[in-house]
Amino acid sequence: MRLINNRNIYRAALILSFLVICMFTLLGLAKIMDYLNTGADRSTMLHLETESEDVYLPKVNWTNLANPARDMEKNTLGKLQRDYLFSWYVKNTALKTNNSEGIDDYYTANTRLNLYRTIKYNKEHQITIENTTIKHFPDLQFYSEDGQLVVFTDKNVIEYQKIYQNKQLLTTVQDTATYKVMMLLEDGFWRVRHVLKMKAEPFTKDTTAVHPVFTVKNEHILKNNSPYTIKGINYYPKNSAWDTFGELFNKDTIAADFDIIKKANLNTVRLFIQYGDFGKAMIVPEKMAKLKTILDLAEAKNLAVIVTLFDFYSDYTLDSWTLTHRHAEQIVSTFKDHKAILAWDLKNEPNLDFENRDKGNVLSWLDHMATVIKENDPNHLITIGWSNSVEATNLADKVDFISYHFYNDMKHLEYETNLLVKTTKKPVVIEEFGVPSYGGIWNFWESSIEKQAAYHQKMQAYFKKNNYSFMSWTLYDFPHVPDQVAGRWPWQKNRQKKFGFIDDKGINKPAFKYISN
Amino acid sequence: MMKKVLYSALPFCCFFLFVFAVAKTNNADATFRLQTTQNSFTAGTPIALTFATASKTATAHLFVIHSYGKTLLTSQNINGQLVFHIPAIYCIKTGDFSWFLIQNNKTVVSGTFVTTPNNTTPTLLENYLGPPSLLTGTEHFTMMVAIPTDSYDNPKDNNTAVYIKDQFLENITTTEKKTDFFIAWKNIYSRTKSGKMLVSTECNNTASKEFETDIQPSPGKNFTINYSRNHKYADGNQITLLETSIIRDSYGNIVGDGTMVTFQVVTTNDILLKTYAATINGIAIAQILHPDHNETFTVKGYVTGIAESNSIKIDYLALIKTFNYEFTEGNRKITVGPVRSFMNQIVPDGIKVELKIYHKNNLIESKIVETAKGIANFYLLAPFYKEKEYQFEISTLGITQKTAIKKYETN
Repeated sequence: MRLINNRNIYRAALILSFLVICMFTLLGLAKIMDYLNTGADRSTMLHLETESEDVYLPKVNWTNLANPARDMEKNTLGKLQRDYLFSWYVKNTALKTNNSEGIDDYYTANTRLNLYRTIKYNKEHQITIENTTIKHFPDLQFYSEDGQLVVFTDKNVIEYQKIYQNKQLLTTVQDTATYKVMMLLEDGFWRVRHVLKMKAEPFTKDTTAVHPVFTVKNEHILKNNSPYTIKGINYYPKNSAWDTFGELFNKDTIAADFDIIKKANLNTVRLFIQYGDFGKAMIVPEKMAKLKTILDLAEAKNLAVIVTLFDFYSDYTLDSWTLTHRHAEQIVSTFKDHKAILAWDLKNEPNLDFENRDKGNVLSWLDHMATVIKENDPNHLITIGWSNSVEATNLADKVDFISYHFYNDMKHLEYETNLLVKTTKKPVVIEEFGVPSYGGIWNFWESSIEKQAAYHQKMQAYFKKNNYSFMSWTLYDFPHVPDQVAGRWPWQKNRQKKFGFIDDKGINKPAFKYISN
Repeated sequence: MMKKVLYSALPFCCFFLFVFAVAKTNNADATFRLQTTQNSFTAGTPIALTFATASKTATAHLFVIHSYGKTLLTSQNINGQLVFHIPAIYCIKTGDFSWFLIQNNKTVVSGTFVTTPNNTTPTLLENYLGPPSLLTGTEHFTMMVAIPTDSYDNPKDNNTAVYIKDQFLENITTTEKKTDFFIAWKNIYSRTKSGKMLVSTECNNTASKEFETDIQPSPGKNFTINYSRNHKYADGNQITLLETSIIRDSYGNIVGDGTMVTFQVVTTNDILLKTYAATINGIAIAQILHPDHNETFTVKGYVTGIAESNSIKIDYLALIKTFNYEFTEGNRKITVGPVRSFMNQIVPDGIKVELKIYHKNNLIESKIVETAKGIANFYLLAPFYKEKEYQFEISTLGITQKTAIKKYETN
């Protein structure tokens, strides 16, 4: 008898379809059970789950905790502060989106009505307002005996807002005000009961003693009060281009490179810290340890360091302001007494984001960032690494010295630099310059290692003649360049790989002779 | 010909005129001056800010920041005057009110005015009293926090008088407190007597409801214990009552009902027994079963961690001096009793009788049987007890008797 006959086929099909039906029925039942169980998790009733990500971290500094009633417990204070900041966050979000989500969690029943009215009004008039607060200085006035009620004065809250009508940006306004706040503890949340806006109080002057090594006088950078001409280089270890603090971080490699730099008659290196890599608002301690290692090495080798912050950051929206502030604060305050640091470079070539991220946005972010860094580290200079001399006049009054990147025809060098010095009356540093030695099909054999050497020879002659501060790009040719730096096409990438004075095999290129003057 | 030129030139002229007109009506930068001199308003009254400008066309926006929100206001230029009516939702709330006059994306003038609570509206009072119960004594207190507001839910200005009152027994206290940082508050101290205290507040003829706080007795002080029993015999059946004195706190208040007292009993053999009772009206009564043998109990009462009593000794006399037993059915049945009590009555049922079976001075087994009508029977079945002789030890009510060696027939 043949095994394959109609009957067996029918039989097999029947069994198979039975199995399939069973499978789907079970899956369906499981889905239904799953659905019916959603929300039944008892742990969710008690608001025990914690927010996994920090979304709003303005600077909060409790100036006073003494009050006539109950002593404030550290734990309660943490919870109170968290909920208070959330009350700002939900209010800011509500004004931005005209949506009242979250308000009932952080405002009591009576109080939230006021916000609902505001939202309704703004929605009707198509007004949206982006907000962030920068700083809070709460001063506890009262904490009730039963631990259910607090009153505090949040002094000099700096608020920054962008006002839109019909989705058109109308203007930006910064305001400082003091808020008197009462909060009640209701079902596990500290909720705002009363808010009263009041006049700002005079700021107390910061009296921290300053011990800078590097200072600025007129158009000169001084080290221990004697003029200091930066003869520097942009530095990434050869095998970790744009990833100095990554997996390949090796103290010995960096020490050897610093020796090369020092022997080549250079005195300064420029390093890059990536915002995401360092953990955004929650700084990764291992990265800080690596940064300390590298700075200590520089100090030991007597090299100054310009640390460029916020590499690969390009958000600038008000939502991320406070997070970036905490990022910068943690880094600069940790190293505020480090002798090796010459300056903090706020951001590499921020003007390249003008078009996509709105110039006003970028500039106001930089402006506030400069304040944050100066407040947390008054010892070190600050600068911004503009990508050309035209944009380098932006925020000139906020930085200690002007940095710009020169990739133009070298005959413009003196004109551009001198003009900048003249207009800003500040020291000017040519923070990046260089040419690739790459000659190949992608640039029609335009360059070569000899042409690169000739370029550097002439540039150094200009620097020597004018006593310019310079930082060349870069020490090494890189075997690997990440896509987000130059692009992913070979004609973009190959060029970027060949800017070094030393090739990727570790052999000095002819240009190395002209690395300094 | 002329006409043709005119016709062709006219549209151009019109166009240019239009362009100029547009340019003219474009919002030219103009200086604005605040005309409104009043810079303090009462909540609930309409507020308008008037700006004067030389220009008859220039307009501007007014951005306002308020305790509870931010918004943008628009206005028309009417003969060089811009009037901004503050929306009612902002007029009713107090606080500093910042405004920024914005023209062509720039803030041209800015300023503030202040809105104060409306004292002509009825006062509302919000009160928080806590903690809701107290212990007696002079160091404990409850805190009354009063937040007087106007009818628009705006906290009253500082230094608004609030009367905080409390009543306890015959005493009524009224204190005037001034508000500061939204609140007027008072620590209301506990009393040395326990009971209920009522608290209320009053501000501008608005009275709060009545708040109640319980003053609970403080933890008790040391106390004494005593016992009572039916008789002094160790019959394993009667109950001895252990009773505390009235437990009071240091101010003489009877401790709260339900205060748990632990009675710890130590026997002659240093065995620890415990019994518990909760107080009612300050007295805890616990029960303890009489031992079934001559015994002395040492008893002490504790309110754990708080107070303890004196220690008392309770003696129990043995119920019997001796008892009878007999062997029957070829020594296979042992009958103990009848066991007789102190008045020669038969002991209550359930008295334990223990039989220890020895063979050549080795303990083979213990059997326990409870008496019924004063008698306990033991059976030694031949299949299980195959030896030729056994000796026994019988104990009950603390008395032990050793029998002679008994012989058994074996198959």
